Amino acid sequence: MVMIMAPGGTKEMALGVLDAGADATYVGVQGWSRRGNKDELQDDDIHEVIDYALERDKNVRIVVNTLPSSTEIPMFLERVKMYHEWGAKGFMISDVGCMKLVNEQIPTAEIHTSVGCGITNYADVHFLSELGATYVVLPYRLSVEEIRQIKQESNVGIEVFLFKTPSGGKICPGKCMMSSYFSFERWLDETGKDHFFGSASRGGDCLRVCQTMWDLESEQQLHGQEMTIKSNPSLWLTELPDYLSAGVECLKVPGRDRSAPLVMDLTNCYRRAVDEILSCDAPNLQRYEIELQQLRHRWQQERSKRDDRLIDSALAASSKALISTDRLRA
Amino acid sequence: MYELSTNCANPKQLRQTDYSDYDAIYLGDFSCLEYPNNFSSHPQLLEAAVTQLKEQGKKVYLRLYATPGNEDLPQVKEMIEAALLLPIDAFEVHNLGVLRILQQMGSTLPVHLGVFGNLYTDATARVLKDFGVTRVYPNPELSLTEIHYIREKTPIEVCLPVHGKIPLVISETCFIIENSSCATQKVDCNGKEVCNFPCSQDYWLNRSNGEWVLKDTGKMTLSGKDLCMIEHMPELLRDGQNLFYVQSHGETAEYVKTVGRLYRQALQQAEQGQDEQELQVPIDALSALSKEGLCNGYYFEGAGQTYIGRG
Repeated sequence: MVMIMAPGGTKEMALGVLDAGADATYVGVQGWSRRGNKDELQDDDIHEVIDYALERDKNVRIVVNTLPSSTEIPMFLERVKMYHEWGAKGFMISDVGCMKLVNEQIPTAEIHTSVGCGITNYADVHFLSELGATYVVLPYRLSVEEIRQIKQESNVGIEVFLFKTPSGGKICPGKCMMSSYFSFERWLDETGKDHFFGSASRGGDCLRVCQTMWDLESEQQLHGQEMTIKSNPSLWLTELPDYLSAGVECLKVPGRDRSAPLVMDLTNCYRRAVDEILSCDAPNLQRYEIELQQLRHRWQQERSKRDDRLIDSALAASSKALISTDRLRA
Repeated sequence: MYELSTNCANPKQLRQTDYSDYDAIYLGDFSCLEYPNNFSSHPQLLEAAVTQLKEQGKKVYLRLYATPGNEDLPQVKEMIEAALLLPIDAFEVHNLGVLRILQQMGSTLPVHLGVFGNLYTDATARVLKDFGVTRVYPNPELSLTEIHYIREKTPIEVCLPVHGKIPLVISETCFIIENSSCATQKVDCNGKEVCNFPCSQDYWLNRSNGEWVLKDTGKMTLSGKDLCMIEHMPELLRDGQNLFYVQSHGETAEYVKTVGRLYRQALQQAEQGQDEQELQVPIDALSALSKEGLCNGYYFEGAGQTYIGRG
């Protein structure tokens, strides 16, 4: 049975996607996931989302996929235990040390590896599944045939994103520090939790510096048009029957930082498409593809607004960082 | 005792560069298998280089490809097999799968975790130790305090980059080939595209309207500024750091030689008991080698591009 897992960037979105047909919603914990605070939930809301899901026989995945400081690990484990006691079944984790500790100390918790693990091949999958991962999220680059082969060799659950990078510009997920190079800022809150603005890996937000316009220059010449550093992934659908027959168990709808109405419509579209694939031998996906075209358009509009906002905050943080160091040196 | 190390990609670089101030060399370019005569993908070139460096009394570490897809694993295994027959001192890996492969192939050589190994915690360092990792290169986002904690609590050796551009991104495809107008692809007699190595020139990314600068080497993007910790060497030695690394990927022979000489001198002075105030810091010479200026990376908890200096 395939699980459709949809984002809960806000409480409203989390409850909405469960109503729209998701089997599970994934919600980020403030300061502990690879998104900014505005796309993460407070503990009270997380508790409410878990209760709501359990009443409907659905479940909640908690996103705690930062790469924490060593000294934060006890706090990390306490939180995972607490959410698990509240009824959350699975946890998205990047740090392999934390993964091992959760597996040892909370054996009933399911572990989803996060993009932060940077899987690129079969051997990575084996490493993580032996360490206790229940699901591994595969990168866009793996073909359906490669997924089939992984399923033949391993019992681990396969999770895929419902978006992929079409071609080129494939920055390895989880292996990018451009944002924090320009805009890192760090502070401790009253609970002793470190906050890292500008670093997705450390629980802040990726400030999308790759999406501003850049000039590429070599010793002799300036190269053509200005450009972004990374191409954007896009939502896909038509390959779904192949993915499901290859043994994919978990489909991840993206969009924690998009609007709740868009994410709910997206979830509902994928729900109906998956139901059709599962219920008949020759599914006709054309009408879902037409629907998805509209959704892609809304998706892109929201993305460029978000990118502009994040890049502006990166520029401000970058100037502030340079000014404050100038003052220190003076 | 301390170790000063740097990297060397291929035989040409080994011939043209004076490595006399370095104690150890990381052989190969882990980001791109197609890089000309890359030690990381040309087993036949390794023996001569290892022999030469060993005769000079240096430690030799072999870098393995950082982001292998399934299709690349046979080549990585071939490389490991060839290297196991030579007196190398360690492998460097950036990929958990490759770490598992090394163990399965029965390698008992020490393993160093490379910069893209995503090492942030002592808990992860302990997991990796079980797979033969003896030395880690902490993620550049970590502060000196966090690095100290990992080294002491795991416990494990830490390779500390002290100079050079900070690797910020690794990618599966070549940014220069995708975007540069002079990167024409040649096609060989089998119709396969062959790279004409536009990366032999320096490439810079400049934000169209702003001050941001990055350096691009094709499959890696590096900080525009050079990490520089020479003012802090006495403090680092007092802290117990002893494995210092100069990141020189894509730099000239002059850069490698000069930086090595200046850090060797700084280490000797610091060892003789000179503190930060007495140390004669050749900042001007290092600045002259860096087009975009110097930075301290994330060591003092600021944005990677900032430079704090001695304070």
